Amino acid sequence: MPHHNHYRKNYWLIIIFAVLASLLFITALGFAKKYARKIVENEFVGKKIDVLDKNIESYNDLFFNKIPEVSFYQGYLDSNSALIYADSILRKYDFVKRILFFDAYVSNTAGGLAISPRVVYQFNRDCPKSHIIYKAGSGTKMDIRIADDFNSMAARLSGFIDIADTSRSVNNDEINKFFYAVIPEKITYMNIPRKEDIKAYKQFVEGSVDNNSVYEQDILSYYIDPQALKLQNNHPELYEKIEIKPLFYTSLDTDPDLLTAESPLPGALASYKIYFSANRNFLTNEANRRFMPLALMISMGYLVLFIIGYLIYRNISFNNKMFKLQYDFVNNLTHEFKTPVSVIKIAGNNIRSAKELKDDTRQLYGKILDEEADKLNNLLNTLLSFTQIENKSIKLAYEKVNLDEFCRKLISTYQLKFPDFDLQYELKEVSTLYTDPVLLGSVFQNLIDNAYKYSEEGSKSLKITIFRQKKQIMFKFVDKGIGIPKSELINIFKKFYRVKSQYNQQGSVGLGLAFCKELLNFMEGDIQVKSTVGKGSTFIVTLPYAH
Amino acid sequence: MRILTPIVLVFFLLSFCACNDFARREEIPIESFFMKSPKSNFQISPSGNYIAFLQSYNGTQNLYLTTWDNAEPKRITTETDKNIANYFWADDDELVFWKERSKDDNLSIYAVNRTSLSVRNLITPEPMRFRWVSQQVNNDELLISLNKRDSSVFDVYRLNLHNCHLKIVARNPGNISNWVADPDGKVRLAIASDGVNETLLYREDEEHAFRRVFENNFKTTVKPLRFLEGRTNHIYALSNIDRDKLALVIIDLDKGEEIKTVYMHPESDIEDIRFSSVAKGLAYAEYDTWKPEKYYFNKRIKDVHEDLRRRLNGYWMRVVDKNEAETRFIIRTYADDDPGAVYLYSINDDRLTKLADVNPALNGRKLCKMDSIRYNARDGMPISGYLTLPNRLRKQGLPLIVIPHNGPSARNVWEYNSEVQFLANRGYAVFQPNYRGSTGYGKAFWSAGFGEWGGKIQEDIADGVRYLIDKKIADPKRIGIYGYSFGGFCALYGACFHQDLYKCAASYSGITNLFTYLKEIPPYYKPYLQMYYEIIGNPEKQADYFRAVSPVFHTDKIKGPIFIAQGGKDERGNVNETNQMVRDLKGKNINITYFLKEKEGHFFKDEQARLAFYQQLEAFFAANLGGN
Repeated sequence: MPHHNHYRKNYWLIIIFAVLASLLFITALGFAKKYARKIVENEFVGKKIDVLDKNIESYNDLFFNKIPEVSFYQGYLDSNSALIYADSILRKYDFVKRILFFDAYVSNTAGGLAISPRVVYQFNRDCPKSHIIYKAGSGTKMDIRIADDFNSMAARLSGFIDIADTSRSVNNDEINKFFYAVIPEKITYMNIPRKEDIKAYKQFVEGSVDNNSVYEQDILSYYIDPQALKLQNNHPELYEKIEIKPLFYTSLDTDPDLLTAESPLPGALASYKIYFSANRNFLTNEANRRFMPLALMISMGYLVLFIIGYLIYRNISFNNKMFKLQYDFVNNLTHEFKTPVSVIKIAGNNIRSAKELKDDTRQLYGKILDEEADKLNNLLNTLLSFTQIENKSIKLAYEKVNLDEFCRKLISTYQLKFPDFDLQYELKEVSTLYTDPVLLGSVFQNLIDNAYKYSEEGSKSLKITIFRQKKQIMFKFVDKGIGIPKSELINIFKKFYRVKSQYNQQGSVGLGLAFCKELLNFMEGDIQVKSTVGKGSTFIVTLPYAH
Repeated sequence: MRILTPIVLVFFLLSFCACNDFARREEIPIESFFMKSPKSNFQISPSGNYIAFLQSYNGTQNLYLTTWDNAEPKRITTETDKNIANYFWADDDELVFWKERSKDDNLSIYAVNRTSLSVRNLITPEPMRFRWVSQQVNNDELLISLNKRDSSVFDVYRLNLHNCHLKIVARNPGNISNWVADPDGKVRLAIASDGVNETLLYREDEEHAFRRVFENNFKTTVKPLRFLEGRTNHIYALSNIDRDKLALVIIDLDKGEEIKTVYMHPESDIEDIRFSSVAKGLAYAEYDTWKPEKYYFNKRIKDVHEDLRRRLNGYWMRVVDKNEAETRFIIRTYADDDPGAVYLYSINDDRLTKLADVNPALNGRKLCKMDSIRYNARDGMPISGYLTLPNRLRKQGLPLIVIPHNGPSARNVWEYNSEVQFLANRGYAVFQPNYRGSTGYGKAFWSAGFGEWGGKIQEDIADGVRYLIDKKIADPKRIGIYGYSFGGFCALYGACFHQDLYKCAASYSGITNLFTYLKEIPPYYKPYLQMYYEIIGNPEKQADYFRAVSPVFHTDKIKGPIFIAQGGKDERGNVNETNQMVRDLKGKNINITYFLKEKEGHFFKDEQARLAFYQQLEAFFAANLGGN
């Protein structure tokens, strides 16, 4: 059988496919796992920038937004407003320990430009008041460390005046260079003078004008405690622990499974760094956690692949079955046509070879030829109308049918044809139906023919009951035939399908029931079947009841 | 069912349109509102035979000339880099003009001959500023004040038109803020100011020294206008000494007192007077109530004006220029909803001819009417303002834009205002409050704004908005505030402290920091510093108040969408501070549109920059107030 070869080939293909697919699947999972581990390792190193950025946000806010606010006062900052300002800083930024405020003035002296502090205030975190720690002319000397702050700023100012270009506004580069002094744990800032002030300062330096105005400059020193920076771990999945450590700190922990990373803090925080640590197991867990969705995705992909594969396989086998059915159909049809044709051929030969034709012989042949021609005709008609119905190209010819008369006529023909067929009918509370009698006749014929064909000799019987159920009319055909196995029940209405048994070997096309179903569908009806092997089958035809 | 669906659909569509707007509203392109007039600044020659005007030539404003009989205009200057800012007729043959320049450019003043078209520079270029003391030529000389000697003070010079000699007439001891010349071109009046107190100085002739007439605080105004004909020691002046409103008075300079009140209006300050040299007397006084008005001293002029206004469909008219004989006039007309036109009028043959439309792009376009409104601020102070409603059927629940005027020592008046008309055309109601501190309503109202920049002035604006919400005119969810300079300060202030009221705010060169504002006062304003301290506040003594009301310190309070336009060369504001503010807001993820024009100053002079600004402003309000 050629089919066998086909199946064997597919079988191996499927096995190879399954093996390869599984191999690929396993490899993909392996890669995914490796990838997840790699990513976690990379992130452990890479995301520290993220954590650093997050944790120096408040420092940057102080540095870039709050400190330049001093300039907004244009030198008008006094002890009162400085207290409010300092208080807002100390309250907002925990890492600012204290603030010094130098209320300084710039004036013209014989030696050129002079900048000197008038009063120095100190604002402490825990004290709501300002302390005057130096006052010009009070006789006290300024603490050397404090004086240092002031001097560095004064030096910067003179450096700035030296290069200042009054035709444009002060640019960011100059601001950074001359108005900020950043050393570890301290930021000193001086307000940026306005263009007119800078012009005046330049003139002071050159000693060119006689201007005895006094210009105010505000200098503020912020003392920073990096250890007070509140750390926030925004990647707790990567870092088990983050700490602030002195810049030169190294861990003495020798555990090989302890992974560490560090990033130095910027600006005034620069003497410290953020120190990150995590145990290897901790990271492995994280890698596994990341692997899960990947594995799920790969599995989903493979599932989809298998489903598509199965669907393709199913379609191919369905098409195979269809091919087989058509093949059988052609076989049967040939056979069906062959019998009458050979009978006709034999009759023809006989007639031709007979020397003389007796009267009863002639009649016999005539009858045979007539019958066989009828058979062929029927066969062709069925084929034709089936095609027509499938294409919906026939029209229903509805008329009022007297059911009793309709059944009687049909049955009497069958009784003539098959004297051994016990055919009965019964009408319950129905007499007429509005339908197409020809099509209904076809359904009856097919079902009666089947009942006869698929019954053992001696138990060929059929009982037709016609009754109403609500808005429908039911035709029940009960036979005592060989019955249909359960497994075949769903197939019997398919085109070209025949239940394999000894009864249909003499030939039937396998169109009958499919034809009935098509017809009934066309007439908005239905057909159903119940059957027990060896006991008989019951076909129930349903049609809309119209009269 | 099939037929029903479209019917229902059409019905809904129609009712939607009806709710939305039934009055046909055409959207006029932005350019039509803000393009410069093609021809502007018409001036008539002393003889009345020639008319000069400014017109763009290859993108630069140049001087053009036509005749009274409307001959084909011809260009008489060829400036290619800087626009001609202004000019005047020196005599019938020569025009004096000067160009736009930035702060540090050298000053040049030119004269151009009408026939030979030769242009000459009248002064040696130097980086200084100037003011005309008199544009009237006497003995070929003009009077000009220059800060040539010292950048912080202005001396008066005689500028000879022929040999370009610059001769000092009066040296400024440092405190003179203004000089006045008599009709013969003699500098005989000066106003000295120490910032708080003003002293009127007078001399009989230029040989004598100035002597003190009287002193007054800057809170009262004495504005010398002109000497009386034939009386060397009497002047007309606008004064509000011992009264609330500026009145037209005559002052006897020898006695040092006011001898006659010529005219006063019970509600408004007198803005200006017009004089007729031919009739040798006052022509009329100009002032603004809710709309501009004139009080005539001359019956004949009154009749002529009234007749003209009838012929001009009731449009308001101003005499722009006239010839020496006062027989030929250039007249400018306008209305709130029409930028108007320029006419020539000849009194001898009673002929009125149109010279040009001020804004031809708006001809025949339907603009919006400006209505006066009055409300009481929370402390009972009556406040006036203007409300311009869009041309819509529905006059309620409108999106509203508040435009506080610049100043605050200024006021909104009834006039054609392109900004207001532009926004009204886009479907917004526009509210222009004359908050306390505005001028024109008398000195009590003006001085009520002192020290209230971040106080009652802001309350007055907010109270006006609440009044419009109560009247159901404004949709409380769709109110924006927009302003220029001080108005921009109000907008930023609103964004910081009145977020409940304003959905969004737009500031055009707005003041962000009062400390800086005071610090940036140019050196030639220095005498006024004490006055500024009184008007705004003293930063040394009131640092807390300055901090409390300066928007730059309060970016953390800004929530809503904000639009900031800033010129990179703005000498009043500070670009660095605005940048700092913008950076700060951006960092806080506030919806901010920053429109920075590096080359522009406090006011955007470049037409393209202005158009781009208004386009952005339109988009900003459309996105946040859902206008249109």
